[in-house]
Amino acid sequence: MSRRRRLAAAALTVVAVALAGCGAGGHAVTVHPVRSAGAPRPAGVKPYHPPASAAPAPPCDPRASGPRPQGQLPPPGQMPAGSAMDRIVQRGRLIAGVDQNSYYFGFRNPSSGQIEGFDIDVLHEIARAILGDPNAIQYKVVTSAERIPALTSGQVDIVADSMTITCDRLQQVAFSTDYFDAGQRVLVRKGSGYTGLKSLAGRKVCAAGGTTSIRTLAESADHPVPVAVDNWTDCLIMLEQNQVEAISTDDSILIGLAAQDPYTEMVGPRFTDEPHGLAIARTSPELVRFVNGVLERMRADGTWNRLYDHWLTPLGPNPGPPRAGYAD
Amino acid sequence: MTTTTARPAAPAPARPWRRWPERVRGAGTPAVLAGGGVLVVLVCLLFGLSGLVTMTGRADASRAVATRSEPLSVDGQELYRALSDADATAASAFLSGGLEPAAARDRYQADIADAGAALATAFGAAGETGPAHDDLARISSQLPVYTGLVETARTYNRQNFPLGSGYLREASTLMRSTLLPAANRLYRLQTAELASDRSHATAAPWVLLVVGVLALALLGAVQRYLTLRTNRLLNPGLLVASGAVLIGLAWVFGALTAQAGHLDASRQSGSAQVQVLTEARAAALEMRSDEGLTLVARGDGARFETDFAAASGRLGGADGRGGLLGRARRLAAAHPPDAKARAAVDTTAADFAGWLKVHRDLRAEDDSGRYNRAVELATGADRATAASAFARLDGELGTALAHAQDRFAREASRARGALTGSAAGTAILGLVAAAAAGYGIRQRLWEYR
Repeated sequence: MSRRRRLAAAALTVVAVALAGCGAGGHAVTVHPVRSAGAPRPAGVKPYHPPASAAPAPPCDPRASGPRPQGQLPPPGQMPAGSAMDRIVQRGRLIAGVDQNSYYFGFRNPSSGQIEGFDIDVLHEIARAILGDPNAIQYKVVTSAERIPALTSGQVDIVADSMTITCDRLQQVAFSTDYFDAGQRVLVRKGSGYTGLKSLAGRKVCAAGGTTSIRTLAESADHPVPVAVDNWTDCLIMLEQNQVEAISTDDSILIGLAAQDPYTEMVGPRFTDEPHGLAIARTSPELVRFVNGVLERMRADGTWNRLYDHWLTPLGPNPGPPRAGYAD
Repeated sequence: MTTTTARPAAPAPARPWRRWPERVRGAGTPAVLAGGGVLVVLVCLLFGLSGLVTMTGRADASRAVATRSEPLSVDGQELYRALSDADATAASAFLSGGLEPAAARDRYQADIADAGAALATAFGAAGETGPAHDDLARISSQLPVYTGLVETARTYNRQNFPLGSGYLREASTLMRSTLLPAANRLYRLQTAELASDRSHATAAPWVLLVVGVLALALLGAVQRYLTLRTNRLLNPGLLVASGAVLIGLAWVFGALTAQAGHLDASRQSGSAQVQVLTEARAAALEMRSDEGLTLVARGDGARFETDFAAASGRLGGADGRGGLLGRARRLAAAHPPDAKARAAVDTTAADFAGWLKVHRDLRAEDDSGRYNRAVELATGADRATAASAFARLDGELGTALAHAQDRFAREASRARGALTGSAAGTAILGLVAAAAAGYGIRQRLWEYR
């Protein structure tokens, strides 16, 4: 009895639901197939094409390319008339090409809005030596690819941006003595299984355009696929967004990237040797000599060690400043 | 009522129409009269029908302008404004260093909410296919990606990592390369739809005009025929019919003239200004965002500065009296009834010029190495900064925009009001004319039996 009633109730419910379904109106709806929104890309990402290499640069010693400092540095503000340093004194500030995306070396501190880092502190020492004021610097942020044009066009006096001294580059600009030694390695996502450049054959590997790093990647016998970006942080963004498999450049820069994302790790050995120099226009050899003098003083009086200890301990224990070599 | 052969009351031969051919062959007058009568009645009915169709179409088109295409174009404009304001706000909040000011965060969040709401409205109105749908789908799939990037940038910023600015650049690139172009295309589509609805609403009513004139001519001809044949000066039925058609024509033309006048006013003093002011606002936002990005790029921002110069030329020419601001002023001056809107537009030139001056100063400061002073000039809260000049300009453009939209809504609703009852009215007048003409001619026809 009660069972029949329950059955009847169930039947009624079914009919009611069916009727309600029939009654539900509204216009037809087309469901569009879901596609991924696609990964966003940083500005200026492009596949890398190595520059048509001009005549190969004559062999040279990148670690002994510049003039030896002579005697004591002139006191700040009293530079030899007509020299590049004198023009800087007249102007009242040093104009420096820097990066604001290389953590530890040259980066914009988000909380203060100021550009800071090891390279920036070296510039402060140079400004102090020329002008007597470590802060008399005008920064011009340049991408890696813009560094040499900025110097040759005279937009900046000096570039301090983890720039490797190479024989090729010495054809276009002059370099100070080696003030920091680095070597190229590979940064990957933790647990990705890559063990070094060898395991990245045919995989996308990111580096900033216009650097020695991306050229090394393009010329590597392991044949990774180089992807060029404007800034090093763009590489890390693309690594985080799974758009590239690895980043490869100087370990000093990679350490700075890894510090911003604990889910990355450096793998494989150093496979290049990258002496970093401050780049200066070839038309100002006196400025190169002066800067070499400042670097010499920083090595001698412990300033270099102090800067290393302040910024670069994540890289490992202080190896001491690189030895200076000179062409003359 | 619909034919001359209907026999309502009077006793009559069973099928009179059977006898018409004889009459046509015979005496002439009744046959001609009957034929003419049928024609007149048909044309009068046609007049009523075309009146109904034309005026209903007009009313629909007017309603579409007032309640659909114009609100949609306002919606599209709001979408563009909200997106580009979000971009400019995010860039300048980042510039200030440290935590972004609470006001900037609020503004960004309001912009994103506005954009979402505008997007929902636009989706509701767009069909399921077509270019508008594609652009809307692009915006709605990329907007969450954009906000995700901005939040990531914010998180990294709070950890003091330069990676934050990288994410912000990526977000801004996405906004400028994908979202804003899609929103701009959408707005253009909506504006084109508004123009097309308006031209539908004011197309010349040729059919109605031809039919009405034809009806009057036929009525006159039949009247003249009757006068010649019967020596009776006037036929009351035909007179009433002619009167009805005349009244119908007069009503139609009165209503359409008034409607077209109001629609034209809605364009001249409303949507034309809305369009100019919208473009002006977008250009001002573009300048603001370029100004911030030039400073964020820190010496590597030449392309943003070039963009700034292009946008400022578009917005106000050299001094705020040319470009879009100049056009907005001329439009406001040509249609003076709204003094408040005029006043709002009038002050934009001064604020634009003031902004350009601050901008030149801040560029000079930045170029001579006083970056912090330049940032202060760009983002500071006191009166003499680019931030407050922009805020004033944006506020004035917003006020003028609201006035122009009000004027549009007022005139568009007047245009609809002018058509009230005209469709039913002309239909009824057509029926009256047909009935009266039929009655009048039948009266004469009876006399031939």
